[in-house]
Amino acid sequence: MESISITARGLRRSFGQTVALKDVDLSFTAGHMHGVIGPEGAGKTTLMRLLLGLLKPGAGTVEFSQAGKPVDFDIVRPSIAYMPQQQSLYPDLSVGEHLDFFKELYGIERKAYEVKRDELLEITRLGSFVSRPAGQLSGGMYKKLGLMCALLRSPRAMLLDEPTNGVDPISRREFWELLYRLSDQNILIIVTTAYMDEAERCGMVHLLEQGELVAEGRPRELLMKENVRTFDELFLRRGGHG
Amino acid sequence: MKLFWGRAGAVARKEVFHILRDPFALAAALGLPVLMVIIFGISIEFNMKDIPLAVNDADQTRSSRMLLDRFASSGYFGIRRVVSPHQAVAELTDQKARAALVIPPDFESDLISGRQGQLQLLIDGSDNSTVGPVSNYVNRIVGAGAPALYDLRTRYLFNPELDSRWFVIPGLTVVIMAILSILLTALTIAREWENGSMELLLSTPVRPVELIVGKLAPYGVLGIIAIAFVYVIARAVFQIPFVGNLAVFGLGSLLFLITYLAQGLLISVVARNQQVAMQLAMVTGMLPSNLISGFIFPIESMPTFFQYLTMLLPARWFMRIARDTFLQGSGLIELKVPFLALTFLCFAMIFLATRKFKRDLEP
Repeated sequence: MESISITARGLRRSFGQTVALKDVDLSFTAGHMHGVIGPEGAGKTTLMRLLLGLLKPGAGTVEFSQAGKPVDFDIVRPSIAYMPQQQSLYPDLSVGEHLDFFKELYGIERKAYEVKRDELLEITRLGSFVSRPAGQLSGGMYKKLGLMCALLRSPRAMLLDEPTNGVDPISRREFWELLYRLSDQNILIIVTTAYMDEAERCGMVHLLEQGELVAEGRPRELLMKENVRTFDELFLRRGGHG
Repeated sequence: MKLFWGRAGAVARKEVFHILRDPFALAAALGLPVLMVIIFGISIEFNMKDIPLAVNDADQTRSSRMLLDRFASSGYFGIRRVVSPHQAVAELTDQKARAALVIPPDFESDLISGRQGQLQLLIDGSDNSTVGPVSNYVNRIVGAGAPALYDLRTRYLFNPELDSRWFVIPGLTVVIMAILSILLTALTIAREWENGSMELLLSTPVRPVELIVGKLAPYGVLGIIAIAFVYVIARAVFQIPFVGNLAVFGLGSLLFLITYLAQGLLISVVARNQQVAMQLAMVTGMLPSNLISGFIFPIESMPTFFQYLTMLLPARWFMRIARDTFLQGSGLIELKVPFLALTFLCFAMIFLATRKFKRDLEP
């Protein structure tokens, strides 16, 4: 299946008096790992939800294209995986039961599922925890399970909302290694994060601050342009909290 | 001690903030008691008025008319004239009357010749809530003045021994089903919203109808098993007779179950949090099915407005179906009104629950 690209034009969304996203133009191109970086409250989760149609924009549009041709969201929806920021798995269901559940939701055939399941359990190293309830997994394992559920359907685009939030450094590194593997498969990956060091791991970064897109580009080029060494430094200079 | 009060005070302040910032909880805490006292206080009435009384006056004499005038002027009864004792029984079976008075042809001649005037009173024994007041009011009217004037023979139809369990247990089926179905489903979607899994579910290709059917099906099966349990216990343990058609009872149970499951789902979709869903389930499901469905308090004794209001209550209609199939042997023809009403409510609930079900995270 062809890769998916997403373009947001003039995206705006308010909650009451608070403007969460202010006329944002963004382009997420297929085959890249995009990092949406910003401190808490920058509008990252709102952006993800708007891209997925989980929230309606106050203004602006979200357009999808596949192999360079515009397509309706409903057509690409089955190929887009999402991992919300909030813990959203079922604490009483085991790792294996989660995978079985999402297999049915995605309508994956038994044989293909078994191959995918074994592959995912191997790369996440959760094979020996198949019968452990999600509520009893460590933070890192829990996130990996979330990622496995998202990856089951072999998506062409993945939207991950702060997937490493609250995870220990070793698990974070393992998680990023998993993402690198995926980006090698020409999948569009959009990751939001408040960890500035993670910005440098992305192919493209988009800096959000108080609902506005303040900068974007390749990490190195961006740092050079802003004349800083790290993204932490960049945000501190801009007066962010990250 | 000072530290204790300081900490307890801090916790209390925090809770006050929670309450004040949750308008629904505040409204529920302050508004619901007022609403419930008004609704249940007005609608629950032990004293009955205008009880429909089928009267077959085969004597048609001055004495019989005088007796009937006393019934009519008492305020307790609304007279429904019928032409035969057979029709009087039919009025009871069709629930058009709660009791029937049969005056035989030689009523006045017996009185003139110094004998007691024969009277037969038929009371619907399947509804114990009306039996006591009806007997009491009739005895008061007939026995006023000269107790020995009339020979009143009372027969209780459908529950000759007036065994209260015959009355209570079929009704309990309704209450148990209402509690089970509405509570379980009211919490199910709200739980998904509360723990964040709904966001993930909404991002999958699963369609609302698939989610609804998937959510309801296990509770539907649980409900059917529960009905079967209640039926078996009623029959085997309490020896309650079942004179009706099991398929009719089963159909009514299924309709009622689906209606309340859909109502629970509607609550769950609207509430989005388990605490609020629980409160709504209590107020719209459990309490009405106990208090204004006719389970304990007769609907006829409620003010007219509330009698109409109970028509919106699925429990009211299934109460009738359960009791009448158990004790009176009523079929689909006799129960056409409850079945039609329940079917309408069932479709309305499914329609509302599906319509309210959101495919996004918009508030």
